[in-house]
Amino acid sequence: MGNSMVLRRLNIIISGVGGQGLITLASLLASSTVESGSKALVAETHGLSQRGGSVEVHVRLGDVIAPLVPKGGADVILGLELIETARTAHYLKENGCILASDLILRPGIPNVKMPKKGELIGYLKKVTDRIYVIPASEIAEKIGSIFTNSVMLGALVATGLLEGFIDIKTIESNVKSLRMGDKNLEAFKLGFNYCSRNCFGCK
Amino acid sequence: MSRILGKEGSKVLLLGNEAIARGVIEAGIGFASAYPGTPSTEIVETLADVAKKLGIYVEWSANEKVALEAAFAASLSGVRALAAMKHVGLNVAADAFMSIAHTGIRSGLLVVSAEDPNMWSSQNEQDNRYYGLLAKVPVFEPYTPQEAKDMAFYAFDFSEKFEHPVLMTPTTRVSHTRGPVRLNKLKNPVRRGFFKRDIDRFTLIPAHARVRRKVLIEKWQKISDAVSSVPFNRIEGDGKVLIVASGISYAYVKEVLNIMKPKSVKLLKLGTPVPLPRSLTLKAIGDVEKVLVVEELEPVVETAIKALISEEKLSIEVHGKDYVGYEGEMTLERAYSAISEFLGIGGGTPWKPSNASIGEVPDLPPRPPAMCPGCPHRATFYALRRAVNSLRVKPVYSGDIGCYALGVMPPFQQQDIILEMGGSVGTTNGFGQVLEGQIPIAVIGDSTFFHAGLPALVNAVYNRSPMLVLVMDNRVTAMTGEQPDPGTGVNAMGEPAPTIKIEDIARGIGVKKIVVFDPYDIKKSFEALREALEYVIKERKPAVAVAKRACALFIDRMARRRRIRTPKYQVKLEACTACGVCYNAFTCPAITVRDDRKAYILEDLCTGCGVCAQICPFNAIEKVEEGDREWETLWF
Repeated sequence: MGNSMVLRRLNIIISGVGGQGLITLASLLASSTVESGSKALVAETHGLSQRGGSVEVHVRLGDVIAPLVPKGGADVILGLELIETARTAHYLKENGCILASDLILRPGIPNVKMPKKGELIGYLKKVTDRIYVIPASEIAEKIGSIFTNSVMLGALVATGLLEGFIDIKTIESNVKSLRMGDKNLEAFKLGFNYCSRNCFGCK
Repeated sequence: MSRILGKEGSKVLLLGNEAIARGVIEAGIGFASAYPGTPSTEIVETLADVAKKLGIYVEWSANEKVALEAAFAASLSGVRALAAMKHVGLNVAADAFMSIAHTGIRSGLLVVSAEDPNMWSSQNEQDNRYYGLLAKVPVFEPYTPQEAKDMAFYAFDFSEKFEHPVLMTPTTRVSHTRGPVRLNKLKNPVRRGFFKRDIDRFTLIPAHARVRRKVLIEKWQKISDAVSSVPFNRIEGDGKVLIVASGISYAYVKEVLNIMKPKSVKLLKLGTPVPLPRSLTLKAIGDVEKVLVVEELEPVVETAIKALISEEKLSIEVHGKDYVGYEGEMTLERAYSAISEFLGIGGGTPWKPSNASIGEVPDLPPRPPAMCPGCPHRATFYALRRAVNSLRVKPVYSGDIGCYALGVMPPFQQQDIILEMGGSVGTTNGFGQVLEGQIPIAVIGDSTFFHAGLPALVNAVYNRSPMLVLVMDNRVTAMTGEQPDPGTGVNAMGEPAPTIKIEDIARGIGVKKIVVFDPYDIKKSFEALREALEYVIKERKPAVAVAKRACALFIDRMARRRRIRTPKYQVKLEACTACGVCYNAFTCPAITVRDDRKAYILEDLCTGCGVCAQICPFNAIEKVEEGDREWETLWF
């Protein structure tokens, strides 16, 4: 779908909760890009934000120089937790694509009023028509809940947005070289297959 | 194997801090020291991982001042040296830094101060390029991990050429950005040296210092001339208007110009904002009508350019902070707006969030960082509150820099002041001398205590300040990623080291009331804290309490790696009354709420600490599975 301008540069926001493995996921995306011969930048925050707080990681691929994605400039948001996906929705460009895990984690503060899943998804649907809610935990269930990030990564690859930046073979081999690589690769493929069937029109 | 030992000529994805580590080993350093602090920590952490393999010496120092002094000594002995710290760490090391500028150095000395615009994990937003101006030390400000590596390498020859230290100031978005970096050849390190006496130069008594001050001023002139030809400064393009971009601002400006494609704009890229490269800047501004300086935080370059224009009696309009602003970090939007205002283009930025994402955001609960599941600090705060309440005293909590600063959040809110490293014990000294009817309590961690709490405790004993110093000793520098500290029993390179006990220090300097307790035992913690508080109230002298339990994150990671099973706890639903003590008053992240408001323990997150079972008023939380025996031994 996209024109050549869009393809030269891909802005990704990965959002979630500190401890969910956002940095590992972003590094894997970026090193796969560099190994495939393109440029990649990953901007992350350490320290405080890792202690169970909101985390957003900026991943920029292709013809990029600056590390941060502008608000309204993300081609895709990869949301690992639904509240955090909603919190980072202002990064999405008009008509951008959201891949959101349906997981909701309760913030560790007293007397917290939790939003309903339907309310969050309803909001994201107003932000963009191209929102795909991925039951990542359910998909990963047979393999184990710690593999949901590989499911989400597989889903992202299946959108086709990474074409021209990352070779599928390279990213698959990097997933496989993770700890418990076979299971991660299995989860990656499940995510890929799920999104191939369900996430039309991201690209 | 560490990524920084990749093959010469290969291009790898490195974190900015890893790139700096690679740069200094390409320059053959033999000595590296640091006190951990975000966003600087990974520089020396990465070097520590490869220290034995490369035959270099790497240490976690007790604080930044010691780190810099030690690195300086290495340099004087003929060993290339690095001292790394976060921006506020240079405040601690400033005393040494100012004097080192006077003595100068021998083998290359690089000081890295990682800056934190927007205060992602810092207590203030200071611009340490001013330290370069203050001390007359050149400042290198990189814009990518690649340039950070190149600068770290280049700094050593530059430093040796002028016998002067170099200060490098990567920001969070360089230090904590991963980008492609090309690796060059590693140089064999020089690890051992010889100190040759030069009393006139290295003993800064007033008579010598006056001479060194003259040398410094002459040196600064030479450095100011030399920076015009360092490869990190250059003029790009041509035109009647000039944009000057320093450090990471260059990345944003360059990308904005690529998108905007304005006609005839000249760009001056600066990698050395201090001192301003005079001849290069004159060349850049020579034929332009107006200048925009884009830099983060303070107008360091802008002020220098205005001064240069004034000196040269030129008539050029200079903009900077009027369009760019002071606070926070650079962004594409900010650079775009400033440049379009400067060029008189207008019309807003090309990035447009959807209307819904701006206007109709649902009510989202905040998610501040929190103490981890099983964090011993949470249990200590809980016991401390109960001890304070039981004595009906009014506490004033002086907090400090570390994970326990998270005790400022609800439901604990047991921090009234958080200033800087060691500030808890320092302020408590003053409170102790002036307060009536309130009791001052310092809350400080082990690493922070060793760093700057110790002199303040000496002060408390000497001046007899009635106060409680509560050291939350989790055996590591936890907030920055569990680096070992003087109480851990291991050094940066993984070798066994003496364990310095806080209670021994307190005893040694004459504290008469010392209690040590395990925060996982709530009842005993309560009793110990109560006893210490009673002593302070009755005797009007300082007491020290040490809560000793390793960082739960550290232990949990170790247990997972060694496949050691942790104990398992569950909520007995028939006994749970949905009172909420465990999830509202204790707020362990591993405890969540069911639809019927009863508690539920998330097995994936639970570390098996068992504190929730002690605080549950209805005994509704029970151990359902014992952990491996080794689990308990990991903690001490």
